[in-house]
Amino acid sequence: MSSKLRKSAASDEECALDMSPMIDMVFLLLIFFVVNSSQIIVKQDSDVRPPVASYGKRQEDKNGRIVVNVYKDGSYKTEQGVILETDEQIHDMVKKAKEQNDLRGYKSKLHLRGDKDAVFKFSRKAIAASAGAGVDQVMFATYVTDK
Amino acid sequence: MARHKKYQVDDEANPGLDISSLIDVCFLLLIYFLVATTIQKKEVDVPLALPAAAPSDADMPDIDPLFIKIDATGVIYTGAGSSQQMLDTDNSSREVPQLSQQLQLYVAGANSGGKKPLVQLWVDGGSNQQRVIDVLNALVGAGISSVTFTDLID
Repeated sequence: MSSKLRKSAASDEECALDMSPMIDMVFLLLIFFVVNSSQIIVKQDSDVRPPVASYGKRQEDKNGRIVVNVYKDGSYKTEQGVILETDEQIHDMVKKAKEQNDLRGYKSKLHLRGDKDAVFKFSRKAIAASAGAGVDQVMFATYVTDK
Repeated sequence: MARHKKYQVDDEANPGLDISSLIDVCFLLLIYFLVATTIQKKEVDVPLALPAAAPSDADMPDIDPLFIKIDATGVIYTGAGSSQQMLDTDNSSREVPQLSQQLQLYVAGANSGGKKPLVQLWVDGGSNQQRVIDVLNALVGAGISSVTFTDLID
């Protein structure tokens, strides 16, 4: 009887929390995030809602992309949020970025994030200004689906 | 001394892996992902090479380009002058079935003659971005990569 009591007292002293379900859960969450996460190619301004194109191609590399956000009201901003007010400012920004890309050995391309409801003349202005700065490759940012 | 030895032997008999550092690392990674993750829709590219960038293929014979017009209301036309045809008129639909069909016929005709399909696009400045992308999307779907905007200046 006394040995039984001693045994029970010993097991009370060594009581430990079973961590294994928690570790399982942590691993599951970790795997979920690792699998689901994807690298952001360019900073996405949430004020621009790109159009939908079902045949759009996956964005592969950020190198050489010169981002211009075109808003519904016809205003322009760079990826860093710098406001571009005139065609000359767009031209100068693209030209400067192109020179930097040339030094790094990247082919410059205009990454045009145009709002789906913006009229096309705003995008055309940005394309023309970029073409004037020597960037002839245009990547229209789109979503694959509307959902 | 003897007691010390006995204690050591007992310890070696029940070896255990200390996983606390592993858990720490896992938690750190988890917190990193939780903090760094923002739920954003994935963007894709619709590429367009302006005429200066499009490689000129000297071996390819010339072909009459297909002229596509998008007016301010989003109505799509092909051809010019008397041969102009009104195609898709529903600006709210993302599908352009009539244009896609015409593009397929044009591409098939060009390929059978060993020519490279070429499209000239005229867009009214008042047309919305989504409608232009609908047309560019149809061009990508039909495998047409040579597209020129006929008027880049308003």
